[in-house]
Amino acid sequence: MTKEQAEVKQQTKRILNRFGRKRGNLVPILQKVQGKLGYLPREAMLEIAEFLGIPAIDVYSVVTFYNQFRLNPPGKHSIRVCLGTACHMKGGYITLDAWKRRLCIDRGQTTPDREFDLDIVACVGCCVMAPVSVVDDKPQGKVEPTKVDGILLSFKLKKEKQGKESQ
Amino acid sequence: MKTVSLTIDGKKIRAREGEKVLWAALDNGIYIPNLCALHDALEPFAACRLCFVEVEGKKQPVTACTEAVEQGMVVNTRGPGALRLARTAFELLVASLPVDCAHCPSSGSCELQKIAAHLSIKLKTKRFRKLLRELPIDYSSPLFIYDPNKCVLCGRCVWICRERLGIGTLGFAHRGFDRLVTTFGSEPISESKCLDCGECVVACPTGALAFKDRQGIKSGLGKGG
Amino acid sequence: MKTTGLQSVVSTFREIKSRAESQWQELCNSGKPVVMVGAATCGRAAGALGVIRAIKDEVKKHKLDCPVVEVGCMGHCYAEPIVIISKPGYPPICYGHVNKVIAERLIREFILGDDPCLEFVLGALEANELVPSLSDFPRARFEKKIILKNCGHIDPEQIEHYLANGGYTALVKALQMPPEVIINEVGRSGLRGRGGAGFPTGQKWEICRNAPGRPKYVICNGDEGDPGAFMDRAILESDPHSVIEGMIIAGYAIGARYGYIYVRAEYPLAVHRVRIALRQARKLNLLGKNILGSDFSFDIRLFQGSGAFVCGEETALIASLEGEPGIPHHRPPYPATDGLYGKPTLINNVKTLAYIRHIIDNGAEWFASTGTEESKGTAVFALAGKIVNTGLVEVPMGTTLRQVIFDVGSGMQNGKRFKAVQIGGPSGGCLPESALDLPIDFDSLTDAGAMMGSGGMIVLDEDDCMVEIARYFLEFTQRESCGQCTFCRLGTKQMLEVLDEITKGQGRIEDIDMLSRLAEDIKAGSLCGLGKTAPNPVLSTLRHFRDEYEAHIKEGRCPALMCRDLIAYYIIPEKCERSCDACVGSCTTEAISANKKRIKVIDQEKCVKCGTCLSACPPQYNAVVRLSPPSEVPASK
Repeated sequence: MTKEQAEVKQQTKRILNRFGRKRGNLVPILQKVQGKLGYLPREAMLEIAEFLGIPAIDVYSVVTFYNQFRLNPPGKHSIRVCLGTACHMKGGYITLDAWKRRLCIDRGQTTPDREFDLDIVACVGCCVMAPVSVVDDKPQGKVEPTKVDGILLSFKLKKEKQGKESQ
Repeated sequence: MKTVSLTIDGKKIRAREGEKVLWAALDNGIYIPNLCALHDALEPFAACRLCFVEVEGKKQPVTACTEAVEQGMVVNTRGPGALRLARTAFELLVASLPVDCAHCPSSGSCELQKIAAHLSIKLKTKRFRKLLRELPIDYSSPLFIYDPNKCVLCGRCVWICRERLGIGTLGFAHRGFDRLVTTFGSEPISESKCLDCGECVVACPTGALAFKDRQGIKSGLGKGG
Repeated sequence: MKTTGLQSVVSTFREIKSRAESQWQELCNSGKPVVMVGAATCGRAAGALGVIRAIKDEVKKHKLDCPVVEVGCMGHCYAEPIVIISKPGYPPICYGHVNKVIAERLIREFILGDDPCLEFVLGALEANELVPSLSDFPRARFEKKIILKNCGHIDPEQIEHYLANGGYTALVKALQMPPEVIINEVGRSGLRGRGGAGFPTGQKWEICRNAPGRPKYVICNGDEGDPGAFMDRAILESDPHSVIEGMIIAGYAIGARYGYIYVRAEYPLAVHRVRIALRQARKLNLLGKNILGSDFSFDIRLFQGSGAFVCGEETALIASLEGEPGIPHHRPPYPATDGLYGKPTLINNVKTLAYIRHIIDNGAEWFASTGTEESKGTAVFALAGKIVNTGLVEVPMGTTLRQVIFDVGSGMQNGKRFKAVQIGGPSGGCLPESALDLPIDFDSLTDAGAMMGSGGMIVLDEDDCMVEIARYFLEFTQRESCGQCTFCRLGTKQMLEVLDEITKGQGRIEDIDMLSRLAEDIKAGSLCGLGKTAPNPVLSTLRHFRDEYEAHIKEGRCPALMCRDLIAYYIIPEKCERSCDACVGSCTTEAISANKKRIKVIDQEKCVKCGTCLSACPPQYNAVVRLSPPSEVPASK
């Protein structure tokens, strides 16, 4: 086992200590573990299965069923394009295309530099601000292609500033 | 044991109280198409949607696997409404499968062939678009081949592996059109905790799980065949 | 329940309530100005948090004694961020579209000075001489707020605000009633489940009470997954205790000890506020062991959904609570007799539960006096799309769609023509102009081919393509299908394929028949409600807008100029202004360049049809147009 795998195991165990060994706790456990690790590594899923006394495939079934869970590490910044009805009709799909074009990734992917991950979200209930993109968990209203460029530019500037400061 | 009497396709039969219509019919030699039904399962999956029958007094066709028998019940397995639903469900299934019986090891024992004959439907249906998934075939087990493209998601293998044998190698993953039967982490069978007992292969109604020796296909050959 | 126990319940509660009331009085009537900011998710998306910061900074800068309170959503989402200022000597005034600059001015000029900045006023909350009040708005004539009453007027993170506004009195009253009487009261009120299907609530409670098996559970279904619906989110974020109180009463009535609030993970703020509300209720012993000293114990756990629309279906919701994938089961058995862990389980929608306290407080007759013969009470809708007043509305059942859209919602944005209203999300349908005079209730909408659903209402105008919206919903249900049953997994996929082809101009005329036949089979043959209703968006658009399908198929033309494969952007040379470069700079793919005469031309190969140039072209030129089919674009010389 690599050092990282051992670390994942340890962290998972620490979270599991706070739960009872009830199957009904599976989803909350997965949420907590992903909240800590950013995704659900293989070792974490195996650890959880052992803890609950269920076959590992059952954990995998649940993880792959729900949108919320990810099997791969996320990017530093998360972009979620809302494709609720109002957002779609006001051009959410055009916004999604703009993100894809600028980040050069498809939905469900992370940029090679691990800066951004892009996905869609069914509806965040901010229909009046359509089209909405949720950037780092903050819903932003009226995100059209030009605003996509604006948001990316502000990240770039922030990063450059941090870079300068750390020099 | 309390029994009730009912009529299926004009034939008077007796069945255990609480029994589902599907099993009452099959036990009495009346065939109703089905893929996902397992007599021993605690609850019917009701997933394949092939076992539609018409029950006198009910407006809509019902699935025979979920409908309990009742005293005096009159069931028609060949009513036009029931057949229409069963045919659509079946055509939807085969439209998403690679149909190539000539090269399939399960040809002859495949339940899809039996159902097609029963419903008078060609396996190569023209009604719907062909929607193939093109998933990799798993040749890794020494005993059998798993071709997920030929899987109808009936869940028999999953149930056998998990509920009857208590192994829990196979399970469902993902959802919607991407739903499939697979192992933990979608690893090859040989790297999973499979014990190579072959029970899942026996349970499979199609060519998705097939023994290697019976048809002599060597690993790596023939895709989707 | 024993009388001595009851007396202590009443006296314990009286103490709690009077403490809360004095806190509320201190906030509202202490002679200090009070600023309230709408900080539900909709307000936050519009920048409410920045406004709050600006207000607090300004208050601090001027050393003002002025509490700043975060409240929920008033329903006027079109005007977010919203600020309400109550200053002694003035009526409470509501300001809309507040930004940081306006916020600072309000503090300086109104709180510090005495200028109420009338230019930013949305309306006053009370009738007065100075500013028109919100109740003078034409929409107020049609609205009747029951469950939205507190929303936007109290701090959802302070149980005292809820208590001071009549909260938990219904619970105390209920604890003094025999459970059967409560169920009878709910039954007589005519309340029907607000999750969409409209099953009589009283009947559900009774079945659950009479079902053998223990323990029993109460589940609040807050898995509001319909895209375009945000009523439940707004209520959970703005008035969480109203739902909790309803649950406790339900628990007492059916004999349950435990409850779950199931909230979707996409609603983090709702999760946060429900968690706080549960903690506060527990602290005051309104929840937990021996509630208020009675012999009734009930506790509620919060459960976060993890992103699966199908979990709004009750059996799938239960599966996910049990730690399984959210895959529906065949019904019957229904959860009321055979639910969570096989025990009798009452599942009610957020809104249904929010009505309970009002019914217990005011009586069944009071509730039943609003609404229609078969659908009592009010209906809550989330208005969105191309309508002026987007937001939340609550109107009596029986109000017509026209009244909701044109009177309450103030009609269409930008003077566009109304085309359709989509009601009920992926399970509902699109209704045309001819259906606008339909009185809204459960049955009339179903008859018209839509569905009450949970209450999302998306208004569509002439620029919205009906084939595209049908395709959109099918794409949604297809993505959210659990994949268990053949009809939903493969049938909706087939329908989506065909609709994809049609919106790309590759459809065949016989596809229309194939679609409608398949749609009927999916409706009749699917296992659960998601599949059974998935074809509705297609069936309803086929019924009312068949000509649009035909235009796509026969002419390769999208009449609404929406389907990207069937349109092209074109700059009319005669209208293009030589000195203007707005479109060139706006284009995200550098597809626009100027020709020798400085007239701008779109390179159709490079154009991704994002429409940015159309918005960028100054209105005095209006030179950018969309043409369909793309062959309409004149060949460049």
